[in-house]
Amino acid sequence: MTLVLDQVSKSFGGLAALSDISFKVNDGEIVGIIGPNGAGKTTLFNLITGIFPPTEGKISYHGKNLLGLRPYKVTALGLARTFQNIRLFGHMSPLDNVMVGAHCRTKAGVWRGLWRTPAQRKEEKSTRERAQALLQLVGIENDTDSPAGSLPYGQQRRLEIARALATEPELILLDEPAAGMNESETQDLRLLIKKIQMMGKTVVLIEHDMNLVMNVCDRLVVINFGQKIAEGTPAEIQKNPLVIEAYLGREEA
Amino acid sequence: MDIILNQYYLQIVIFVLVNAILGVSIYMTLSTGQLSLGNAGFMSIGAYTCAILTVKAGFPVYLAIPIGGAAASFISLIIGYPALRLTGIYLAIATLGFGEVVRVIILNLKITNGALGISGIPTLGTKISKMLSSFGLSRFGGLTAQQTSNLLVLVVLIFILAFLVFFCTRLNRSRVGRAFASIKADESAAEAMGINTTYYKLLAFALGAFIAGMAGGLSAHLTFFIGPKDFAYHRTVEILSFAVLGGSDLIIGPIVGALLLTMLPELLRSASEYRLMIYGALMVIMMAFRPQGLISKETVRFWKRKLGRRINQ
Repeated sequence: MTLVLDQVSKSFGGLAALSDISFKVNDGEIVGIIGPNGAGKTTLFNLITGIFPPTEGKISYHGKNLLGLRPYKVTALGLARTFQNIRLFGHMSPLDNVMVGAHCRTKAGVWRGLWRTPAQRKEEKSTRERAQALLQLVGIENDTDSPAGSLPYGQQRRLEIARALATEPELILLDEPAAGMNESETQDLRLLIKKIQMMGKTVVLIEHDMNLVMNVCDRLVVINFGQKIAEGTPAEIQKNPLVIEAYLGREEA
Repeated sequence: MDIILNQYYLQIVIFVLVNAILGVSIYMTLSTGQLSLGNAGFMSIGAYTCAILTVKAGFPVYLAIPIGGAAASFISLIIGYPALRLTGIYLAIATLGFGEVVRVIILNLKITNGALGISGIPTLGTKISKMLSSFGLSRFGGLTAQQTSNLLVLVVLIFILAFLVFFCTRLNRSRVGRAFASIKADESAAEAMGINTTYYKLLAFALGAFIAGMAGGLSAHLTFFIGPKDFAYHRTVEILSFAVLGGSDLIIGPIVGALLLTMLPELLRSASEYRLMIYGALMVIMMAFRPQGLISKETVRFWKRKLGRRINQ
């Protein structure tokens, strides 16, 4: 059992954003989290990655309690994420963005950076090569000197994935990676997510694109108004009356 | 030769260099996006530590200056840890308050001589020429002892500034520099990417304080006298304006800012009373038309392209 959420609740002031959410993610799975806008999906990611703590409940990863850990420590444990509203380091080059991701897996400090010791140069070289490989994996031209913020939208989304992969995660949380992508870009993304799974990583995916979700996910968790209303395979979810109601509304009797 | 080595010109160049070092100190803190107005405070800690060590405890200058820097750095860690939870304007106000607290403490301590300040600080120039004459080198060509010592001070300052520029450029192209830049760009995204933002913000803050403290120590040994007034609020604003005028994207920005803003009052000396007015007007014009400062990454890119084309033709 990789990631376990046990009766997690979060309220902002009096507003309950999430209540009593429990689910598990297994190693190597692709799990989709779906639900209408404002259901609390991104809040869930923020709780897992330690942006803010849950009001109640437990979150653990490989038996290790994630509560109270600062985000950078969660990342160091092997959970990486992307953001729904793209949050690249806009003025830095795409390559530098990805190299920042490798930060927690590298060591060189001020002193080694200043004198460019052999160890530092070796580390820097391997970081660069890995970053270039990741850029290639997500399909971004590496020769650009132009800042990440000036890349086309779809590429920025993919660059975020490359940056998250550079932290060498075991589990990657993707927050609406297909938002704003056209059909062929979404198709590429589907292949990319499958590739990430083949690399032996676990994927948790928030997505509104049902075509993508149904095709790529092994299991789905459906959230509506902060509560888990269903969990199961894509085929089960498609038939679930509660889910249909949440998305399409109830038929007048 | 005598015109170039004119005492007055040399003095200005020395001030330009000390201010450039201060410019590097503000660049350092700004490199993680922290707007700190405490640099005059750190400068005064460095200056007083250094002056007390040399005047009252008889320390050699070359030891006292780094100790001054270290003292400023140490204090910066103590106040930085709580203060760096604040961002933007709140951090600016907190650090500004810190600077004033330091000034008032210095004003009231016995060891700092209160408002009288510390005088009779051995100047760097005389120290250096004494050291040289002990090696039997008192004169270079036709230069007077005064000119020699001033020139030597100049060389020492240029060396320190060059080292700092080297330090910053190396840092920028390393893992630590990328962490700084990412925090400046988006702090919470940087933290989510595995960067301990508290540590790196504190590191930049302490490095900036160290450089400011060293600049303080140097200036104490260049001016013979230091008093609490030298490190008041106006000094902070002056240091910040180097980065505002020159730009804080690149290390060269605050250095150019320091150069221009130190030369300008001297050039405008003939305009005497209107000096500060012109100075102020320039700052307002900068803010209105070029808020990123004179030198930004785009400027460099633009000129590279332009010059590159000319070479290709």
